[in-house]
Amino acid sequence: MSSDHPTRAEDFDLYALGALDDAERKAFESHVASCADCAKKLAAARGRIAILAFAAPPVVPSPGVKETLMRQVIASAEGPGGSVARVHPGHAEDGGVFARWWAVLLPVAGAFALATVLLWLHNEQLDRQLADLRNTIEQQKQELAETRHQADLIAARETLVVPLWSQKGMPDAHGEGHARVLYNSKEGMMTYDGWLPSAPADKSYQLWLVPMSGAPISAGVFNPKNGEMSHMMMKLPAGVTAKAFAVSLEPAGGMPQPTGPMVLVGPTS
Amino acid sequence: MVTAEKRAELKATDASLIDRIVQRDESALAALYDRYAGMLSSVLNRILRDTQAAEEILQDIFYQLWRNAAQFDSSRGSLSGWLLVIARNRAISRLRRHNPASGDELNENTVVVASNLESSVAQQQLMTRVKSALDNLPKEQRAAIELAYFEGLTHSEIAQRTGDPLGTVKTRLRSAVETLKRDLHS
Repeated sequence: MSSDHPTRAEDFDLYALGALDDAERKAFESHVASCADCAKKLAAARGRIAILAFAAPPVVPSPGVKETLMRQVIASAEGPGGSVARVHPGHAEDGGVFARWWAVLLPVAGAFALATVLLWLHNEQLDRQLADLRNTIEQQKQELAETRHQADLIAARETLVVPLWSQKGMPDAHGEGHARVLYNSKEGMMTYDGWLPSAPADKSYQLWLVPMSGAPISAGVFNPKNGEMSHMMMKLPAGVTAKAFAVSLEPAGGMPQPTGPMVLVGPTS
Repeated sequence: MVTAEKRAELKATDASLIDRIVQRDESALAALYDRYAGMLSSVLNRILRDTQAAEEILQDIFYQLWRNAAQFDSSRGSLSGWLLVIARNRAISRLRRHNPASGDELNENTVVVASNLESSVAQQQLMTRVKSALDNLPKEQRAAIELAYFEGLTHSEIAQRTGDPLGTVKTRLRSAVETLKRDLHS
Protein backbone atom coordinates (compact mmCIF):
# COMPACT_ATOMS: atom_id res chain seq x y z
CA MET A 1 0.00 0.00 0.00
CA SER A 2 2.12 2.85 1.23
CA SER A 3 5.22 1.57 -0.58
CA ASP A 4 3.48 1.28 -3.97
CA HIS A 5 3.68 4.22 -6.32
CA PRO A 6 0.32 5.21 -7.80
CA THR A 7 -0.04 3.01 -10.87
CA ARG A 8 -1.30 5.67 -13.26
CA ALA A 9 -0.26 9.26 -13.82
CA GLU A 10 -3.88 10.45 -13.68
CA ASP A 11 -4.20 9.25 -10.06
CA PHE A 12 -2.42 12.44 -8.98
CA ASP A 13 -4.96 14.61 -10.82
CA LEU A 14 -7.90 12.54 -9.53
CA TYR A 15 -6.62 12.92 -5.97
CA ALA A 16 -6.16 16.67 -6.44
CA LEU A 17 -9.68 16.82 -7.85
CA GLY A 18 -10.97 15.11 -4.68
CA ALA A 19 -12.59 12.34 -6.72
CA LEU A 20 -10.97 9.35 -5.00
CA ASP A 21 -13.18 7.50 -2.54
CA ASP A 22 -12.05 7.06 1.08
CA ALA A 23 -9.99 3.85 0.77
CA GLU A 24 -8.20 4.98 -2.40
CA ARG A 25 -7.59 8.42 -0.94
CA LYS A 26 -6.10 7.06 2.30
CA ALA A 27 -3.78 4.66 0.43
CA PHE A 28 -2.67 7.50 -1.83
CA GLU A 29 -2.03 9.88 1.09
CA SER A 30 -0.15 7.25 3.03
CA HIS A 31 2.22 6.72 0.09
CA VAL A 32 2.71 10.39 -0.82
CA ALA A 33 3.53 11.28 2.80
CA SER A 34 6.71 9.22 2.54
CA CYS A 35 7.65 9.63 -1.14
CA ALA A 36 9.29 12.92 -2.15
CA ASP A 37 9.02 12.11 -5.86
CA CYS A 38 5.26 11.54 -5.67
CA ALA A 39 4.82 14.64 -3.45
CA LYS A 40 6.41 16.66 -6.25
CA LYS A 41 4.10 15.10 -8.84
CA LEU A 42 1.14 15.87 -6.59
CA ALA A 43 2.14 19.56 -6.34
CA ALA A 44 2.08 19.76 -10.16
CA ALA A 45 -1.26 17.92 -10.32
CA ARG A 46 -2.74 20.33 -7.74
CA GLY A 47 -1.68 23.19 -10.03
CA ARG A 48 -3.25 21.53 -13.08
CA ILE A 49 -6.54 21.00 -11.27
CA ALA A 50 -6.51 24.40 -9.50
CA ILE A 51 -6.77 26.29 -12.78
CA LEU A 52 -10.16 24.68 -13.52
CA ALA A 53 -11.36 27.52 -11.28
CA PHE A 54 -11.14 29.69 -14.37
CA ALA A 55 -14.22 27.93 -15.76
CA ALA A 56 -16.29 29.85 -13.17
CA PRO A 57 -18.14 32.96 -14.44
CA PRO A 58 -16.28 36.10 -13.33
CA VAL A 59 -17.66 37.68 -10.14
CA VAL A 60 -16.26 40.97 -8.87
CA PRO A 61 -16.24 41.12 -5.04
CA SER A 62 -17.89 44.18 -3.51
CA PRO A 63 -15.44 46.99 -2.52
CA GLY A 64 -16.50 46.54 1.12
CA VAL A 65 -14.56 43.26 1.39
CA LYS A 66 -11.21 44.94 0.75
CA GLU A 67 -12.14 47.82 3.02
CA THR A 68 -13.01 45.47 5.90
CA LEU A 69 -9.89 43.38 5.29
CA MET A 70 -7.61 46.41 5.40
CA ARG A 71 -9.27 47.67 8.60
CA GLN A 72 -8.76 44.22 10.14
CA VAL A 73 -5.12 44.22 9.05
CA ILE A 74 -4.42 47.70 10.38
CA ALA A 75 -6.13 46.87 13.67
CA SER A 76 -4.03 43.71 14.04
CA ALA A 77 -0.83 45.64 13.23
CA GLU A 78 -1.59 48.17 15.95
CA GLY A 79 -1.81 45.43 18.56
CA PRO A 80 -3.74 45.59 21.79
CA GLY A 81 -2.77 49.24 22.48
CA GLY A 82 -0.62 50.93 25.09
CA SER A 83 -0.81 50.37 28.76
CA VAL A 84 -2.30 52.89 31.11
CA ALA A 85 -0.23 54.00 34.13
CA ARG A 86 -1.75 53.01 37.47
CA VAL A 87 -1.82 55.36 40.46
CA HIS A 88 -1.56 53.89 43.95
CA PRO A 89 -3.22 56.37 46.33
CA GLY A 90 -1.23 55.39 49.45
CA HIS A 91 -2.47 56.10 52.99
CA ALA A 92 -3.08 59.75 53.89
CA GLU A 93 -3.90 58.81 57.49
CA ASP A 94 -0.26 57.77 58.07
CA GLY A 95 0.40 61.44 58.86
CA GLY A 96 3.79 63.21 59.01
CA VAL A 97 6.09 64.09 56.08
CA PHE A 98 4.78 61.28 53.89
CA ALA A 99 1.20 62.44 54.36
CA ARG A 100 2.15 65.96 53.33
CA TRP A 101 4.06 64.65 50.31
CA TRP A 102 1.08 62.54 49.34
CA ALA A 103 -1.15 65.55 49.72
CA VAL A 104 0.94 67.30 47.08
CA LEU A 105 1.82 64.33 44.89
CA LEU A 106 -1.58 62.68 44.71
CA PRO A 107 -3.34 65.43 42.74
CA VAL A 108 -0.26 65.76 40.50
CA ALA A 109 -0.15 62.00 39.88
CA GLY A 110 -3.92 61.98 39.27
CA ALA A 111 -3.64 64.80 36.79
CA PHE A 112 -0.70 63.07 35.12
CA ALA A 113 -2.64 59.78 34.84
CA LEU A 114 -5.66 61.58 33.46
CA ALA A 115 -3.50 63.38 30.89
CA THR A 116 -1.89 60.05 29.91
CA VAL A 117 -5.28 58.42 29.38
CA LEU A 118 -6.56 61.39 27.39
CA LEU A 119 -3.43 61.46 25.24
CA TRP A 120 -3.66 57.72 24.66
CA LEU A 121 -7.32 57.99 23.64
CA HIS A 122 -6.50 60.89 21.35
CA ASN A 123 -3.65 58.90 19.83
CA GLU A 124 -5.95 55.92 19.24
CA GLN A 125 -8.44 58.22 17.54
CA LEU A 126 -5.73 59.71 15.32
CA ASP A 127 -4.50 56.23 14.40
CA ARG A 128 -8.02 55.24 13.39
CA GLN A 129 -8.42 58.41 11.33
CA LEU A 130 -5.06 57.76 9.68
CA ALA A 131 -6.08 54.21 8.81
CA ASP A 132 -9.38 55.49 7.35
CA LEU A 133 -7.51 58.10 5.32
CA ARG A 134 -5.08 55.49 3.99
CA ASN A 135 -8.02 53.31 2.92
CA THR A 136 -9.77 56.24 1.31
CA ILE A 137 -6.63 57.28 -0.58
CA GLU A 138 -6.06 53.73 -1.80
CA GLN A 139 -9.68 53.47 -2.92
CA GLN A 140 -9.54 56.87 -4.64
CA LYS A 141 -6.33 55.93 -6.43
CA GLN A 142 -8.04 52.87 -7.82
CA GLU A 143 -11.15 54.80 -8.78
CA LEU A 144 -9.00 57.42 -10.50
CA ALA A 145 -7.07 54.77 -12.44
CA GLU A 146 -10.36 53.16 -13.48
CA THR A 147 -11.90 56.51 -14.46
CA ARG A 148 -8.87 57.42 -16.55
CA HIS A 149 -8.90 54.06 -18.22
CA GLN A 150 -12.61 54.46 -18.90
CA ALA A 151 -12.02 57.94 -20.36
CA ASP A 152 -9.39 56.49 -22.69
CA LEU A 153 -11.83 53.76 -23.62
CA ILE A 154 -14.62 56.25 -24.37
CA ALA A 155 -12.28 58.40 -26.45
CA ALA A 156 -11.17 55.48 -28.61
CA ARG A 157 -12.76 55.65 -32.07
CA GLU A 158 -13.64 51.97 -32.21
CA THR A 159 -15.43 51.90 -28.81
CA LEU A 160 -19.12 51.05 -28.98
CA VAL A 161 -21.54 52.82 -26.62
CA VAL A 162 -24.57 50.58 -26.25
CA PRO A 163 -27.65 51.60 -24.19
CA LEU A 164 -29.46 48.68 -22.55
CA TRP A 165 -33.28 48.67 -22.55
CA SER A 166 -35.62 47.23 -19.94
CA GLN A 167 -37.58 44.27 -21.21
CA LYS A 168 -41.35 44.14 -20.86
CA GLY A 169 -42.45 43.06 -17.38
CA MET A 170 -38.88 43.25 -16.05
CA PRO A 171 -37.45 45.63 -13.41
CA ASP A 172 -36.96 49.14 -14.76
CA ALA A 173 -33.44 50.49 -15.31
CA HIS A 174 -34.71 54.00 -14.41
CA GLY A 175 -35.65 54.78 -17.97
CA GLU A 176 -33.92 54.77 -21.26
CA GLY A 177 -30.15 55.05 -21.32
CA HIS A 178 -29.70 54.53 -17.56
CA ALA A 179 -27.83 51.34 -18.21
CA ARG A 180 -25.12 51.25 -20.80
CA VAL A 181 -22.15 49.25 -21.94
CA LEU A 182 -18.92 50.57 -23.43
CA TYR A 183 -17.14 47.93 -25.44
CA ASN A 184 -13.81 48.03 -27.17
CA SER A 185 -13.43 44.74 -29.05
CA LYS A 186 -9.84 45.45 -30.04
CA GLU A 187 -8.73 45.57 -26.40
CA GLY A 188 -11.48 43.28 -25.12
CA MET A 189 -12.32 45.98 -22.54
CA MET A 190 -15.89 46.44 -21.40
CA THR A 191 -17.62 48.59 -18.80
CA TYR A 192 -21.17 48.45 -17.50
CA ASP A 193 -22.98 51.24 -15.64
CA GLY A 194 -26.61 51.02 -14.64
CA TRP A 195 -29.33 51.06 -12.02
CA LEU A 196 -31.39 48.02 -11.23
CA PRO A 197 -33.39 47.11 -8.11
CA SER A 198 -31.84 44.50 -5.78
CA ALA A 199 -32.05 40.95 -7.11
CA PRO A 200 -34.16 38.48 -5.05
CA ALA A 201 -32.16 36.74 -2.27
CA ASP A 202 -31.36 33.59 -4.26
CA LYS A 203 -30.66 35.41 -7.54
CA SER A 204 -27.95 37.52 -9.13
CA TYR A 205 -27.83 39.66 -12.25
CA GLN A 206 -25.43 38.44 -14.92
CA LEU A 207 -24.07 40.50 -17.81
CA TRP A 208 -23.56 38.83 -21.19
CA LEU A 209 -21.81 39.68 -24.42
CA VAL A 210 -23.72 38.07 -27.29
CA PRO A 211 -21.22 37.53 -30.12
CA MET A 212 -22.07 37.54 -33.83
CA SER A 213 -21.68 33.78 -33.74
CA GLY A 214 -21.41 31.29 -30.90
CA ALA A 215 -22.70 31.16 -27.36
CA PRO A 216 -23.06 34.23 -25.08
CA ILE A 217 -19.96 35.08 -23.04
CA SER A 218 -20.41 35.86 -19.35
CA ALA A 219 -19.03 39.29 -18.51
CA GLY A 220 -19.69 39.24 -14.78
CA VAL A 221 -22.21 38.70 -12.00
CA PHE A 222 -23.43 41.54 -9.80
CA ASN A 223 -25.82 42.16 -6.93
CA PRO A 224 -26.77 45.85 -6.80
CA LYS A 225 -28.15 47.46 -3.66
CA ASN A 226 -31.43 49.29 -4.12
CA GLY A 227 -30.88 52.82 -5.36
CA GLU A 228 -27.16 52.37 -5.95
CA MET A 229 -25.50 52.43 -9.31
CA SER A 230 -23.58 49.35 -10.41
CA HIS A 231 -20.28 49.90 -12.12
CA MET A 232 -18.14 47.12 -13.51
CA MET A 233 -15.08 47.03 -15.70
CA MET A 234 -13.92 43.74 -17.14
CA LYS A 235 -11.47 42.27 -19.61
CA LEU A 236 -12.87 39.83 -22.16
CA PRO A 237 -11.10 37.93 -24.94
CA ALA A 238 -9.98 40.52 -27.52
CA GLY A 239 -11.34 40.52 -31.07
CA VAL A 240 -14.90 39.30 -30.39
CA THR A 241 -17.50 41.21 -32.44
CA ALA A 242 -20.61 41.84 -30.35
CA LYS A 243 -24.14 41.51 -31.70
CA ALA A 244 -25.75 42.61 -28.44
CA PHE A 245 -25.30 42.93 -24.69
CA ALA A 246 -27.79 41.69 -22.14
CA VAL A 247 -28.41 41.36 -18.41
CA SER A 248 -30.29 38.29 -17.20
CA LEU A 249 -31.56 37.18 -13.78
CA GLU A 250 -29.78 33.95 -12.78
CA PRO A 251 -29.38 31.72 -9.70
CA ALA A 252 -27.06 33.43 -7.16
CA GLY A 253 -23.44 33.28 -8.30
CA GLY A 254 -24.30 33.11 -12.01
CA MET A 255 -24.46 30.37 -14.63
CA PRO A 256 -22.12 29.29 -17.46
CA GLN A 257 -24.88 30.17 -19.98
CA PRO A 258 -28.05 32.29 -19.60
CA THR A 259 -30.97 30.35 -18.12
CA GLY A 260 -33.15 33.09 -16.61
CA PRO A 261 -35.25 35.92 -18.00
CA MET A 262 -33.55 38.81 -19.85
CA VAL A 263 -33.91 42.03 -17.84
CA LEU A 264 -31.98 44.42 -20.08
CA VAL A 265 -31.01 44.03 -23.71
CA GLY A 266 -29.01 46.32 -26.00
CA PRO A 267 -28.31 45.46 -29.64
CA THR A 268 -25.15 47.00 -31.07
CA SER A 269 -26.90 48.16 -34.25
CA MET B 1 -3.59 56.47 -16.53
CA VAL B 2 -2.24 54.40 -13.66
CA THR B 3 0.05 56.08 -11.11
CA ALA B 4 3.75 55.19 -10.96
CA GLU B 5 3.24 53.57 -7.56
CA LYS B 6 0.34 51.50 -8.84
CA ARG B 7 2.31 50.53 -11.94
CA ALA B 8 5.21 49.35 -9.76
CA GLU B 9 2.83 47.20 -7.72
CA LEU B 10 1.29 45.73 -10.84
CA LYS B 11 4.79 44.68 -11.94
CA ALA B 12 5.94 43.40 -8.52
CA THR B 13 6.25 39.62 -8.30
CA ASP B 14 4.16 37.63 -5.83
CA ALA B 15 7.35 36.67 -4.00
CA SER B 16 8.40 40.30 -3.51
CA LEU B 17 4.90 41.24 -2.30
CA ILE B 18 4.99 38.34 0.17
CA ASP B 19 8.37 39.61 1.44
CA ARG B 20 6.83 43.05 1.97
CA ILE B 21 3.86 41.53 3.82
CA VAL B 22 6.33 39.79 6.14
CA GLN B 23 7.71 43.31 6.82
CA ARG B 24 4.08 44.31 7.67
CA ASP B 25 3.56 46.43 4.54
CA GLU B 26 -0.23 46.73 4.18
CA SER B 27 -0.01 48.08 0.63
CA ALA B 28 1.59 44.78 -0.49
CA LEU B 29 -1.43 42.86 0.81
CA ALA B 30 -3.73 45.34 -0.95
CA ALA B 31 -1.79 44.74 -4.19
CA LEU B 32 -2.11 40.95 -3.88
CA TYR B 33 -5.80 41.37 -3.10
CA ASP B 34 -6.27 43.46 -6.26
CA ARG B 35 -4.39 40.82 -8.23
CA TYR B 36 -6.25 37.72 -7.06
CA ALA B 37 -9.55 38.67 -5.36
CA GLY B 38 -11.54 38.54 -8.63
CA MET B 39 -10.17 35.10 -9.50
CA LEU B 40 -11.01 33.74 -6.03
CA SER B 41 -14.37 35.48 -5.82
CA SER B 42 -15.45 33.82 -9.07
CA VAL B 43 -14.67 30.28 -7.91
CA LEU B 44 -16.09 30.88 -4.40
CA ASN B 45 -19.37 32.18 -5.83
CA ARG B 46 -19.57 29.34 -8.35
CA ILE B 47 -19.19 26.73 -5.59
CA LEU B 48 -21.27 28.38 -2.86
CA ARG B 49 -23.82 30.40 -4.88
CA ASP B 50 -23.95 32.66 -1.84
CA THR B 51 -22.30 36.08 -2.20
CA GLN B 52 -22.06 36.76 1.54
CA ALA B 53 -20.45 33.40 2.37
CA ALA B 54 -18.07 33.79 -0.58
CA GLU B 55 -16.97 37.23 0.59
CA GLU B 56 -16.43 36.01 4.18
CA ILE B 57 -14.10 33.27 2.95
CA LEU B 58 -12.35 35.67 0.56
CA GLN B 59 -11.58 38.10 3.38
CA ASP B 60 -10.47 35.30 5.69
CA ILE B 61 -8.02 33.85 3.15
CA PHE B 62 -6.27 37.19 2.69
CA TYR B 63 -6.23 37.81 6.44
CA GLN B 64 -4.60 34.42 6.94
CA LEU B 65 -2.03 35.39 4.31
CA TRP B 66 -1.35 38.61 6.24
CA ARG B 67 -0.85 36.73 9.50
CA ASN B 68 1.19 33.81 8.21
CA ALA B 69 3.00 35.14 5.15
CA ALA B 70 6.40 34.32 6.69
CA GLN B 71 5.55 30.61 6.45
CA PHE B 72 4.86 30.79 2.73
CA ASP B 73 7.82 29.48 0.74
CA SER B 74 7.61 30.86 -2.81
CA SER B 75 10.33 28.48 -3.99
CA ARG B 76 8.15 25.45 -3.23
CA GLY B 77 5.02 26.52 -5.05
CA SER B 78 3.02 29.37 -6.49
CA LEU B 79 0.88 31.73 -4.47
CA SER B 80 -1.87 31.84 -7.10
CA GLY B 81 -2.15 28.03 -7.01
CA TRP B 82 -2.19 27.96 -3.22
CA LEU B 83 -4.91 30.61 -3.10
CA LEU B 84 -7.05 28.68 -5.58
CA VAL B 85 -6.65 25.39 -3.70
CA ILE B 86 -7.44 26.96 -0.33
CA ALA B 87 -10.45 28.85 -1.71
CA ARG B 88 -11.89 25.71 -3.26
CA ASN B 89 -11.21 23.56 -0.17
CA ARG B 90 -12.85 26.07 2.15
CA ALA B 91 -15.85 26.62 -0.08
CA ILE B 92 -16.45 22.88 -0.46
CA SER B 93 -16.03 22.32 3.29
CA ARG B 94 -18.65 24.99 3.87
CA LEU B 95 -20.93 23.62 1.17
CA ARG B 96 -20.75 20.12 2.62
CA ARG B 97 -20.78 21.38 6.19
CA HIS B 98 -17.43 19.78 6.94
CA ASN B 99 -15.11 21.30 9.47
CA PRO B 100 -12.84 23.86 7.87
CA ALA B 101 -9.46 22.55 6.79
CA SER B 102 -7.31 22.05 9.84
CA GLY B 103 -3.58 22.33 10.25
CA ASP B 104 -1.14 24.58 8.57
CA GLU B 105 -2.59 25.22 5.13
CA LEU B 106 0.39 27.32 4.08
CA ASN B 107 2.75 24.39 4.37
CA GLU B 108 0.43 21.52 3.55
CA ASN B 109 -0.71 22.56 0.14
CA THR B 110 2.29 22.95 -2.09
CA VAL B 111 0.86 23.81 -5.48
CA VAL B 112 2.83 24.33 -8.66
CA VAL B 113 0.97 26.20 -11.40
CA ALA B 114 2.73 26.07 -14.76
CA SER B 115 1.38 29.48 -15.86
CA ASN B 116 2.39 32.76 -14.26
CA LEU B 117 -0.90 34.37 -13.20
CA GLU B 118 0.53 37.61 -11.82
CA SER B 119 -1.06 39.80 -14.51
CA SER B 120 -4.75 40.19 -15.30
CA VAL B 121 -3.96 39.57 -18.98
CA ALA B 122 -2.39 36.18 -18.13
CA GLN B 123 -5.45 35.31 -16.02
CA GLN B 124 -7.74 36.31 -18.88
CA GLN B 125 -5.78 34.21 -21.36
CA LEU B 126 -5.87 31.20 -19.06
CA MET B 127 -9.63 31.65 -18.59
CA THR B 128 -10.12 31.48 -22.35
CA ARG B 129 -7.94 28.35 -22.61
CA VAL B 130 -9.65 26.57 -19.71
CA LYS B 131 -13.14 27.33 -21.04
CA SER B 132 -12.16 26.16 -24.50
CA ALA B 133 -10.59 22.94 -23.12
CA LEU B 134 -13.75 22.17 -21.11
CA ASP B 135 -15.97 22.98 -24.11
CA ASN B 136 -14.04 20.39 -26.11
CA LEU B 137 -14.75 17.58 -23.61
CA PRO B 138 -17.66 15.20 -24.28
CA LYS B 139 -20.73 16.43 -22.38
CA GLU B 140 -20.72 13.61 -19.79
CA GLN B 141 -17.01 14.06 -19.04
CA ARG B 142 -17.44 17.80 -18.58
CA ALA B 143 -20.40 17.24 -16.25
CA ALA B 144 -18.39 14.74 -14.17
CA ILE B 145 -15.41 17.14 -13.90
CA GLU B 146 -17.71 19.99 -12.82
CA LEU B 147 -19.44 17.83 -10.19
CA ALA B 148 -16.06 16.86 -8.76
CA TYR B 149 -14.44 20.30 -8.94
CA PHE B 150 -17.30 22.64 -8.08
CA GLU B 151 -19.34 20.37 -5.80
CA GLY B 152 -16.53 18.30 -4.29
CA LEU B 153 -18.11 14.95 -5.16
CA THR B 154 -16.11 11.70 -5.23
CA HIS B 155 -16.47 8.95 -7.86
CA SER B 156 -19.13 7.14 -5.82
CA GLU B 157 -21.06 10.32 -5.05
CA ILE B 158 -21.11 11.29 -8.73
CA ALA B 159 -22.36 7.80 -9.65
CA GLN B 160 -25.08 8.13 -7.02
CA ARG B 161 -26.03 11.63 -8.22
CA THR B 162 -26.15 10.80 -11.94
CA GLY B 163 -27.35 7.19 -11.68
CA ASP B 164 -24.43 6.03 -13.85
CA PRO B 165 -22.40 2.90 -12.96
CA LEU B 166 -19.33 3.61 -10.79
CA GLY B 167 -16.96 2.16 -13.41
CA THR B 168 -18.38 4.48 -16.07
CA VAL B 169 -17.88 7.52 -13.83
CA LYS B 170 -14.28 6.50 -13.09
CA THR B 171 -13.53 6.06 -16.80
CA ARG B 172 -15.11 9.43 -17.64
CA LEU B 173 -13.13 11.31 -15.03
CA ARG B 174 -9.88 9.54 -15.92
CA SER B 175 -10.36 10.37 -19.62
CA ALA B 176 -11.33 13.95 -18.78
CA VAL B 177 -8.23 14.66 -16.66
CA GLU B 178 -6.01 13.03 -19.32
CA THR B 179 -7.53 15.22 -22.06
CA LEU B 180 -7.33 18.39 -19.98
CA LYS B 181 -3.70 17.67 -19.09
CA ARG B 182 -2.90 17.26 -22.78
CA ASP B 183 -4.88 20.31 -23.95
CA LEU B 184 -3.86 22.71 -21.21
CA HIS B 185 -0.28 21.71 -20.51
CA SER B 186 1.12 20.40 -23.77
